[in-house]
Amino acid sequence: MPIIVNLDVMMAKRKMSLNELSEKVDLTLANLSILKTGKAKAIRFSTLDAICKALDCQPGDILEFVEKQKK
Amino acid sequence: MKTKTNTILVIMNVLAWITFIGLMVKAGAILVSFGVSVSHPEAAKNLYMETNLYNLMQFDFVHYTVVVVMWVAILILEAYTAFLVTRVLSRIKMTNPFTPEVSKDIEKIAYVILLIWVAAMLYNGYQQWLAKQITGWEENLIPAEFILMVGVVFVFSQIFKKGVEIQSENELTV
Repeated sequence: MPIIVNLDVMMAKRKMSLNELSEKVDLTLANLSILKTGKAKAIRFSTLDAICKALDCQPGDILEFVEKQKK
Repeated sequence: MKTKTNTILVIMNVLAWITFIGLMVKAGAILVSFGVSVSHPEAAKNLYMETNLYNLMQFDFVHYTVVVVMWVAILILEAYTAFLVTRVLSRIKMTNPFTPEVSKDIEKIAYVILLIWVAAMLYNGYQQWLAKQITGWEENLIPAEFILMVGVVFVFSQIFKKGVEIQSENELTV
């Protein structure tokens, strides 16, 4: 998938643990882990809104488009 | 509504098990009668439910064996279809019905029914050829109209495959 989730980078910048973020955005650790490891196929606007609020950042800080390298 | 669906699925599961056991018993009974007919040719007069293959046996034992083997093979394939249906019905969970295992089993059912149809056509062709060779031989044809069912089951399996994709996407939406 060419969309990269940089949630771990933002969490490190804000010095926030996965448990803490989970409590703030009201998401289970399992779902946050799916998002963090890039296994998620879609993200709800409400989830994105909650994460941006908790990490005080923009959606672009969490999501990044990286074009696949052609072989 | 949910309870009604569950009840229907349980009833269908029981019916599929009865069909599976019935077909296996039928195949077993034919094989036993065939075994007996090797030493006592009179047994071929009533191989299973008054099926008389005595004339065929007298004509040629090889043809007799081929007919019985084809008949038993078709019955075993039919039993396998019933078994796949029981597996689908026991694996399916109403909370998460679209799983790759169930999807694969439904697709497999379509292919097995297609195989049964091919085997039935060969069997019928062979019976018709034998009818020309043996005077007074009564054909024992298998109805082959169920080919339509292959298409229907195959279409369902493809829709189910899409359902698996949608459910997986839904589960991976955070």
